[in-house]
Amino acid sequence: MKKRILAGIFGPSVLLAIIATGCASSGVKNPSGIGVTEMRADEKGFVAGTGVESQDLVAVTDKMARSILDTPQIKNAQNPPVVLLDPVLNDTRFPINKDLFLTRIQVLLNSKCEKKVQFVARDRMAALEHERDLKRTGQVTTSSDSNVVEFKGGDFFLTGKLQSLTTRNSRGISDYILYSFELVDARTSAIVWQDFAEMKKQGVEDASYR
Amino acid sequence: MKMLASSCLVGALVAGCATTETSENWQRTGDPLVDGRAAIEHSQKRDRALWEYRTAATAMRRGQFGEAKQWLDDALLTLGGIYGPDKDARKARSYFASESKKTFIGEPYERVMAYYYRGILYWIDGELDNARACFRSGEIMDSDAENKSYSGDYVLLDYLDGLITSKLGSDGSEALKRAQAESRMAKPPDFDLQANALFFVEFGSGPLKYATGQYGEELRFRPGHSPVRAIQIKLNGQTVRAEPYDDLTFQATTRGGRVMDHILANKAVFKRATDTAGNVAIIGGAILASQQGSHSAADEVGLGLLAAGIISKIFSAATTPTADVRAWDNLPQFLSFTAVRLPAGPQAVTVEFLDANGSPIANLTQTVTMTVSDPPRDTVIFVSDKNQ
Repeated sequence: MKKRILAGIFGPSVLLAIIATGCASSGVKNPSGIGVTEMRADEKGFVAGTGVESQDLVAVTDKMARSILDTPQIKNAQNPPVVLLDPVLNDTRFPINKDLFLTRIQVLLNSKCEKKVQFVARDRMAALEHERDLKRTGQVTTSSDSNVVEFKGGDFFLTGKLQSLTTRNSRGISDYILYSFELVDARTSAIVWQDFAEMKKQGVEDASYR
Repeated sequence: MKMLASSCLVGALVAGCATTETSENWQRTGDPLVDGRAAIEHSQKRDRALWEYRTAATAMRRGQFGEAKQWLDDALLTLGGIYGPDKDARKARSYFASESKKTFIGEPYERVMAYYYRGILYWIDGELDNARACFRSGEIMDSDAENKSYSGDYVLLDYLDGLITSKLGSDGSEALKRAQAESRMAKPPDFDLQANALFFVEFGSGPLKYATGQYGEELRFRPGHSPVRAIQIKLNGQTVRAEPYDDLTFQATTRGGRVMDHILANKAVFKRATDTAGNVAIIGGAILASQQGSHSAADEVGLGLLAAGIISKIFSAATTPTADVRAWDNLPQFLSFTAVRLPAGPQAVTVEFLDANGSPIANLTQTVTMTVSDPPRDTVIFVSDKNQ
């Protein structure tokens, strides 16, 4: 009888002690930390939102670079046309460093497709003009006639636009992003090439945030 | 006797859990910027965004926009990455952990303000499209209201979205129409695309949170307040008045219930039920155990009931239905905006904060010299009654 009473009392107490000691780990998340995980830029990471991410940037710019090279005006040009970059317009709900798109397209075209197109460093004009002026005034040496205008004018403008459509309700959030890019003839304003990519992402946050 | 001892032991263990919350482990100096930086560095990870919000607001009022940008960018990364399973959030939903265990991102009105401030900072930097992106994201944060008539109803966010769209050469008239239709206070004017000096204005103290209900399971908002009703800006021979377009107390209190409110209500029901069941079992067990002779079957049942009652009471005590009342506590009550045309160069500006009678509140008047940029770049001025 005594044993049964003791078991009746001791059993729940042990159970509760186990439950209570479970609290010892509360407030400590990943106590040993998580090592740095190296990932490819085109890989979806475990930290993800519904906005523009590196894998989107890689997929979009890869597609655009390939598509530009298939354009007759580029493919069949006798001399590599000079392309100027005009900033991409962000018409989405995601603030981003939109220069990344044109930078990656430019680097892809320059590094993988030699001499098909030529870009000029208009973002370095101040330094270039300073160097030219030094040459013109004889302060530094020059290998050509510095009075001849040699800065290249552009044949095409490469630009683009990011637009989005968002739906949000109690079941989550959905973001569609349209990435469109175009090459504009600098002389005629004709759009000689245009292509697009699109992404749709959905997510729902934990109920405690809703 | 043994039962009492083991119960005490268990009680002590359970009570021990309540002390796992750590207190502030940094020295407060009284300077909100210094304290904010320390809090961001030393506070628990789940409170980091809260401190970043607060510190960013303080930095903006001191004109330290670079620092505000840094904190808001980090907080918005947290805010933008909450989709999918989250261990802390799951814990916050459990019976035995409080809601404040989750990573703080704020209620929708707080999330909106993080995007709003970041939008202003992008505008200061001349990145109009990214500013617009922030205003749009802010409106999205407000769009999942239980009461749909108050969904995405920030006048200023729509107005600024439309203004930027128009400045960038597209048609912003739809956003303007929405803003004018949503206005409950002052009605925003038509866009002046030639206006190059933009004043983002805020005043008053915003809403705060408190918990009510038997176990503090109901989240409520203490209304914000402001003696200021409008502001008047005197510059270059002009006087312009900025009336409030948005009221953060209104925004905080008109969204309807949260999903989390239902979860907290369930926790409260569980706590109440286990408490009542524990009372009944303890009383019943005590009566049974005391009315029969020792070693009887009733004695055994009574002791068993007593033990079950204690277990139930302990479960009740460990259940934490308290609502999360962590709040971005230095938000303003009212938001306003005005834009004027100014020639490039230095301009003396006097900002007067007007009371309900339209009289300037003397100790709030600010006089500053601003330098207006050459067109087409806008000059953005952030005006707060808490500017320092």
